[in-house]
Amino acid sequence: MKFDNIIIGGGLSGLTCGIKLAEQGKKCAIVSSGQSAIHFFSGSFDLLGKVDGEDVSNPLEGMKSLSEKHPYQRVGLENIERLTDDALHLLIRAGLSFTGQANRNHFVLTPMGIMKPTWLTLDDFTSFDHKDHFPWNKAVILNFSGFLDFHTLFIKDGLKKLEVDAQIKNISMKQFEAIRKNPSEMRSTNIAKEFDKGNAIDEFAEKVNLLSETTEVVILPAVFGLFNRNVVEKLNQKINKPLVLLPAIPPSVPGVRSQIMLRQRFQDLGGTYFMGDNVEGGTFDNNRLLDIKTNNHDDIKLEADQFILASGSFYSKGIVATHNKLYEPIFGLDIEGDSDRNNWLDEKFFNDQPYMHYGVKTDDKFRALMDGQSIENLYVAGSVLGGANPLKEGSGAGISVLTSLHTVEQILK
Amino acid sequence: MNKNKSKEYDVIIIGGGATGAGTARDCAMRGLSVLLVERHDFATGATGRNHGLLHSGARYAVTDHESASECIKENMILRRIANHCVEENNGLFLTLPEDDITFQSQFVEACSSAGISTEIIDPELVRRMEPSVNPDLIGAVQVPDGSVDPFRLTMSNALDAKIHGADLLTQHEVTGFVREQDRLCGVELFNHQKKEKVNYYGKVVVNAGGIWGHHIANLAGVNINMFPAKGSLLIFGHRVNKMVLNRCRKPANADILVPGDTICLIGTTSERIPYDQIDNMFVSKEDVDVLIREGVKLSPSLATTRILRAYAGVRPLVAADNDPSGRSISRGIVLLDHKERDGLEGFITITGGKLMTYRLMAEEATDLICKKLSVDKKCETADKSLPGSEKSDLSLENASQKIYSSSSIAQKSAQDRHGSLAHKVSNGGSNDDSLVCECEGVSIGEVKYAINELHVNNLIDLRRRTRVGMGTCQGELCACRAAGLLCDSLEEAGKAKDDLANFLQERWKGMSPIAWGDTINEVQFTSWIYEGIYGLKPENN
Repeated sequence: MKFDNIIIGGGLSGLTCGIKLAEQGKKCAIVSSGQSAIHFFSGSFDLLGKVDGEDVSNPLEGMKSLSEKHPYQRVGLENIERLTDDALHLLIRAGLSFTGQANRNHFVLTPMGIMKPTWLTLDDFTSFDHKDHFPWNKAVILNFSGFLDFHTLFIKDGLKKLEVDAQIKNISMKQFEAIRKNPSEMRSTNIAKEFDKGNAIDEFAEKVNLLSETTEVVILPAVFGLFNRNVVEKLNQKINKPLVLLPAIPPSVPGVRSQIMLRQRFQDLGGTYFMGDNVEGGTFDNNRLLDIKTNNHDDIKLEADQFILASGSFYSKGIVATHNKLYEPIFGLDIEGDSDRNNWLDEKFFNDQPYMHYGVKTDDKFRALMDGQSIENLYVAGSVLGGANPLKEGSGAGISVLTSLHTVEQILK
Repeated sequence: MNKNKSKEYDVIIIGGGATGAGTARDCAMRGLSVLLVERHDFATGATGRNHGLLHSGARYAVTDHESASECIKENMILRRIANHCVEENNGLFLTLPEDDITFQSQFVEACSSAGISTEIIDPELVRRMEPSVNPDLIGAVQVPDGSVDPFRLTMSNALDAKIHGADLLTQHEVTGFVREQDRLCGVELFNHQKKEKVNYYGKVVVNAGGIWGHHIANLAGVNINMFPAKGSLLIFGHRVNKMVLNRCRKPANADILVPGDTICLIGTTSERIPYDQIDNMFVSKEDVDVLIREGVKLSPSLATTRILRAYAGVRPLVAADNDPSGRSISRGIVLLDHKERDGLEGFITITGGKLMTYRLMAEEATDLICKKLSVDKKCETADKSLPGSEKSDLSLENASQKIYSSSSIAQKSAQDRHGSLAHKVSNGGSNDDSLVCECEGVSIGEVKYAINELHVNNLIDLRRRTRVGMGTCQGELCACRAAGLLCDSLEEAGKAKDDLANFLQERWKGMSPIAWGDTINEVQFTSWIYEGIYGLKPENN
């Protein structure tokens, strides 16, 4: 099978590459091994929240103090603002409605009740302008009886510090009795499926209205709209008070929906999405990757002019660690990382972990290196790149999306 | 001295390990008024940091006859009195090509003289009985080894002490003693939860502090030289073996593989460490490498089995000679009457020994306490079952109910963990049946039971009582669910958040020495959830 471009990895980075290339008329395929970070999406994309532990209010300014090895620096700070606009519009064209600006972080409320700086926030969720101000004084935090993945007391505690008086209440509905009876089924996606059917919405809204009569705002877990994207909108219409949704324990319902919509956009543009397939290796000739072999395609090789590796970090198995080495499991590409495992980790869980910075080595055009040589048609994008600790910086989605768009520009040149 | 005599206990026991809890049980059953104090939680010292091996004694048969005989006797007692803490797996002593096969006959003979039953089994049969075994073995001897859950065992002893009237204080650290001339008459404690000092008075004070007993004795002005020997172990993600696998040779590094609950364990190393390092139990890269290298010789599949955690404990051996490894020192019981030894009345130390002989140690200590208090009552701890382990109903009706009942995973797991006390696991409605921890089948009801009745102060305690967070995901999702429930009970959300952060740090301590493969993948995911999405911080949440 022959494509213009093949992307390895179906996460945020791979889908961004695929959509952008397909929008430019390229015949693309994405090979995805399974779930990705979008499935535990918090509802927001971060660009840059912190530098050296200090809050960043303008990410574009904050980037200037990042090290030369940082993916943003390597993309070129002069390109970032254009790429952030590009990213927002790509998401909007996919039907995902986000708000936010690259030159000014806004805030979202976390499930711990803490304000966190971010770049783009999905319209399901509420954006706040200030770190220490919640616009309402009286809130009700509602949870579904028996739903363990939403921690109302943590939120109440956080809101108290923001001088908000919050009450906690539970909602029981017969629609959820069946799933609640099974000890491991009362999870966010199953609740969402009940709402997707449509018949729970009215009764639920009625109960919420009854429980929120004396408050100014309603806080709920983000368990609405898995396949049916109108549920959140309908709830907003039917619930009398403003609605603030907060992420629950993964999987994330808005995350799964976003993943489906991005994938749908890619497929609508003519892209081919190979789901549940693993790339096992490739044929190289003269520093070019000719084709790749996948698990499901057996001896049918997938050929392309350019390939993009967007296979993610450790938890997506883009990088693999054993007791004595780090490696890139598909092609055996060069890795930026310490060879002694004693140096991979810090003994304090919450410290900056060295392994978080590890990734595939690339040249200045983001092409992968193998034995020190650039592979001229194998590009690398997203968190498999390394060179940053996206968790500490609050830069995970930004790095994924912007390096992907930058890589596509290299390919289209 | 201003002495508050409002309540004077007959006996105050320092240390919430198996020995302390066992002594509290024995004393309380003999009618004494008992206070047990523990600086952290039950089974946090050496008790909870070993193999969980129900020794047959065979391991010591050749080198230490006395320990071997004690072990087999206690082994048989624990099968009776603590059957809900014990798995009767049996054990094999394997001779590998690099071992001397002539040791086998010496081993079998020493076992018989210690009263340990043995059966020599043909290697071909062993390969079928235990498919995980190293297929190159040239000899094998079966012995009555088993597995024991030290957390459950200690808690059952503590519970029984409580049932017999004992008071239990965890999170209370001994900072000094109340003295009258040459007599101890009480303990000065620091309550870590309330951050305040408190004194309690007793006629006899028992030092059952394990390796920390050295320091406790010092506080009383008495010198006991402990021999801190660190032993490291690895926990694998599932059970590769059905039976305990040992090497048929003189005890050495990493030669015991024990199956227990959902996992199996390889250990241990043995390394002398300075006394000031006993609270710093890290497992080095070298320890891990030795454990894997030697473990693979017992069961080759360990090379590809996921490792969940590494941990280390300190053997509380009393120093005798200058043995650099600490292995040839007897595991024997040391009972010191400080009146005889040091002229200090009202103070005794019970130490040495091992998990297997905790009950015997408790019996010997209690005999001495009773003698001091002129109480004439016989020990019954070998005959009466621990709570949770009462004789099961063998009627046909009950048996068929067990077989055909449609109890949930959570109910079955609770039955395994709490034995006949499982009915206490609250079943107040369908909500209580929901799973908090999917790896280990822990329900809301079980968490509530542990919080209400089993002295749980934080998530780490909860893990010891219920196995929350002990499974494959090491607390990835269940930690937050359990923290939410604990928060409901404690009504202190800020503290519960810090507790959650502590729990993650504590899990990381065990994962970091073996953080590769799926472990590093999982921990990266955990970091993204708690730090990335939740915004949890290490402290002051």
